Amino acid sequence: MMKVLKDWIVNSNRLERLWLLAKIEFKLRYYENKLGLFWALLKPILDICIYYVVFKIVLKSDVPAFASFLFVGLIIWNFFIESTMGTIQILSVKKYLYEYSNMNKLEIYISTLVSNAIGFFFNFLMFLMFYNFIEKDSIGLSIYNVWMIPLFLNLFILSLGMSLMLSNIYIIAKDITQVWMVFSSILFFLSPIFYSLSTFRNRLPSFDYGNPVAGIIINARHVMMDGTTPEMKLVIWDFGYAIALLALGLVLLNKLGSKAAEKL
Amino acid sequence: MEKTFSITARNISKTFHISEDNHNTVKHRLFNLFNPPRKKLVEAIKPLDLEIEKGECIGLIGRNGCGKSTLVKLLAGVYSSDTGSLKINGTTILMNLGVGMSHELTARENIYVSGSVLGLKIKEVDAIFDKIVDFAELRDFIDTKIKYFSSGMVARLGFSIAVNAGADIMFLDEIFAVGDVKFQEKAIKVFESSWIEGKTVILVSHGMDVIRKYCKRSAFMKNGELKFMGDTNRAIELYMEDNA
Repeated sequence: MMKVLKDWIVNSNRLERLWLLAKIEFKLRYYENKLGLFWALLKPILDICIYYVVFKIVLKSDVPAFASFLFVGLIIWNFFIESTMGTIQILSVKKYLYEYSNMNKLEIYISTLVSNAIGFFFNFLMFLMFYNFIEKDSIGLSIYNVWMIPLFLNLFILSLGMSLMLSNIYIIAKDITQVWMVFSSILFFLSPIFYSLSTFRNRLPSFDYGNPVAGIIINARHVMMDGTTPEMKLVIWDFGYAIALLALGLVLLNKLGSKAAEKL
Repeated sequence: MEKTFSITARNISKTFHISEDNHNTVKHRLFNLFNPPRKKLVEAIKPLDLEIEKGECIGLIGRNGCGKSTLVKLLAGVYSSDTGSLKINGTTILMNLGVGMSHELTARENIYVSGSVLGLKIKEVDAIFDKIVDFAELRDFIDTKIKYFSSGMVARLGFSIAVNAGADIMFLDEIFAVGDVKFQEKAIKVFESSWIEGKTVILVSHGMDVIRKYCKRSAFMKNGELKFMGDTNRAIELYMEDNA
């Protein structure tokens, strides 16, 4: 284990390469447009406004600190969807990286997700500012906030696994884009992004375990807004879920990914 | 002295499954929903064995469509082999016209990305950066996206990166067709200098003079089959007979 780590950090240029590719990906995504990075910050706010009007003003949701409640759910969801929907065609778009050399394809995925993680980091900072300075029902910062680190790691592994699965299935079945579009909107509406936790658990029993993003959102709210530890059973379950999906994704990368250069 | 091999291929082969889409209209497509397009098998590379020693310069010749490029992609690890085993000892670069760079990135970014993919650290790319730019004659366009470059400029940049960054095993597919006469002369000069010393090179070319000059051993291919591997003069004779 230590030998592998040493090889990655000292002897090889892998870490440098991952960071270089991630920075370029981030620049391509945000600096190319007129609104630039501003859009990355604006998008979750606009999303929050839409759902706030629908669920708080029209449907009279009784969730306290509803804007912050939405904020946490949406930034987690946006990272998940950008890392899955946004990477379905990654092996086609990034073909130039592996078409002329024997570079490991897994590095392409990790660098793209690191780039998304930079976006998540900015959104998370905005949430912290909103929650601490604007939100009336805020409980402020607490030591439990540190739990966000393992929760984000869980989200990263889950998104990487799904990204590997979807983009490798894409090599043999392009329809996966449409299928995932429908499936991800099912996951979106069957996750507690805008329902209170009690409503979600009463109306959709066991979906907190069935939907892999649901548990992460629930626990992120516990540690950021309720000032409590996360539900450990859910943490363990979600890590297991993410690792299982990552293993499946790696198998698919091995089986189907080797055909990417000729099929795409 | 014990031989060290850069590439050891045992019984490798490649068959492409090509589907023929004969449903040309929407109506035809709708009524044939459960009648999938026909599949055709194209045996691009028939099973072959190949050993390339470290530091060797090998020529690869054959008529168009004989499987040279497919074999090169198999040996570079870009395509996976359907059968057998392939051992690649080191980093590889496959070089031909316009491959290996993103058109959405600037020349500067492409130099760093390609250098990094070829195994260099950022500091090492910094050290050869000016050499790459000057060799490619692109100093004035270094921060321009290469999608605005002419095909010659892109090819020059690719060539310059490969020349200066290099890789342990280099597959050079018709590289002397890059750029104008002046650049070609420069490319040949580089090839004649110490560039390929100590590196393993697989040279694909229709220019027999080039093959004769640089390669002691050559492979001759016909219809996806490795017909001959050995003395370059004999391989060229077979190629000429095939062209007759």
